[in-house]
Amino acid sequence: MPEAALKIEDLVKRYPTGVEALRGVSLQIEQGELFGLLGPNGAGKSTLIHCTTGLAQPTGGSIHVFGHDATGDYGEARQAVGLAPQEPNLDWFLTVAETLDYHAGYFGMPKRERRQRTQELLETFSLTEKRDERTRTLSGGMKRRLILARAMMHRPRLLILDEPTAGVDVELRLELWHYVQRINQEGTSILLTTHYLEEAEQLCDRIAFINEGQIVGRGTSSELAARFEVDSLEDAYLALVGRKELSRSHAEVAAP
Amino acid sequence: MSAAQIRFATLWRREVNRFMKIKKQTLGAPLLETFLYISVFGAALGSRIKELHGIEYIVFVIPGLIMMSFAINAFANNSSSILQQKFQGAIQDQLSSPASPMELLLAFSFGGFMRGLIVAGLTFIAASLLVDLPVDHILVLVPSLFLVGFFFSQLGVLTGVRAEQFDDVAFVQTFVLTPLIFLGGVFYSATLLPQPFETLTHFNPIYYMINLIRYGFVGFHEVNIALSLLALTAATGALFALNLRLFSQGYRLRD
Repeated sequence: MPEAALKIEDLVKRYPTGVEALRGVSLQIEQGELFGLLGPNGAGKSTLIHCTTGLAQPTGGSIHVFGHDATGDYGEARQAVGLAPQEPNLDWFLTVAETLDYHAGYFGMPKRERRQRTQELLETFSLTEKRDERTRTLSGGMKRRLILARAMMHRPRLLILDEPTAGVDVELRLELWHYVQRINQEGTSILLTTHYLEEAEQLCDRIAFINEGQIVGRGTSSELAARFEVDSLEDAYLALVGRKELSRSHAEVAAP
Repeated sequence: MSAAQIRFATLWRREVNRFMKIKKQTLGAPLLETFLYISVFGAALGSRIKELHGIEYIVFVIPGLIMMSFAINAFANNSSSILQQKFQGAIQDQLSSPASPMELLLAFSFGGFMRGLIVAGLTFIAASLLVDLPVDHILVLVPSLFLVGFFFSQLGVLTGVRAEQFDDVAFVQTFVLTPLIFLGGVFYSATLLPQPFETLTHFNPIYYMINLIRYGFVGFHEVNIALSLLALTAATGALFALNLRLFSQGYRLRD
């Protein structure tokens, strides 16, 4: 049995303020899997991602990335992970090409390979013309593409996408979906958080629901619907957050 | 180069690249400021004061100015670079890389050290062209200058990591560092001050740093050189150890 791409056990994150963002979360993403993590705002999705990538320090539990302990053996663990965060966190001083080049440098990639990879990803994400522009001049959509390109620069085996399509137009969303599916087919394991249930249904092999810092359901979209005794993933989600009255199937049935 | 060497070289290249991209502000402005000091204190006041302790006044002042430019630039660079990256969130890119706390700390320290070294070096070259500036004790001067640069680099890192807004950085620079440097005897000799100011000057750590640098250049000193060098080494080491501890804990860098 190969090592799991990501194995999280009993993860607890308590902030000094006393707020418990994660309350014993366990989940496992197999190699090559495209895994969706769904939950309302403040459920703990980003905290879980930050703990995995070293941006937050877990209070308890363990995280292993391809068998490497994310706190004890953080060098190997982080080398395997690429993160596209929810908020564009680009450096305004850098150009588009420098953003990619520095990132790959932080992960130890030699100069020649960095140059080739930068070229390749600029083309993939239609950013070649912008390569010498400073990042602050980019449009919102271009920033999103650059963030995804940056996460891919060092060829991570596990790609973490924190709401990658939040606030992007339909065209770019579909473009990103295609890209995510393609790299997944090429063997990259992916953890995707999203608010768009359609996105999770379309892309993900398995899904987990997180609410108030705990995993409250996991499985394929149809398994989740069955477990919550509803027809769709959306209704399962609404059942989870206690807002069944918003169900569209319910509204249709009730309509005259 | 190994992966670790590439990583470290990239981390510090980023810090140097940052200030090189805004040269007018990071190199031009401090150079202009130093030359204004040389003009005012050298040409204007110097013509009246002539000599201090048998040393031409402008020559007495220049070592302090070199030390001041090294210190303030090292501090200002690191504190604002770290705070700016925290503000933008861009620091997450370095923090989520495999870089160790030691690598991150050294890289963040290096930018300010280089900027201070460049400004201090250019000031030295320009001053040497204008006046006859001796270098009497190079074996004291070089380590002292490097320690001063490293000390203020560390102080800049500490301030940047602790700061939550730009006001926090400006406060330390304007209300702590600048008065301590000005009152540390850049422009005068403490022995000329009336009491209690002469005694109070001895409680200012920067007074000892200025004395070390001035001794290195012109051979004049008012404090014990060996003890001052030892104390500066210890203080720099302690500050570095503190920063390393904070980086290892992720203090105000990682949630």
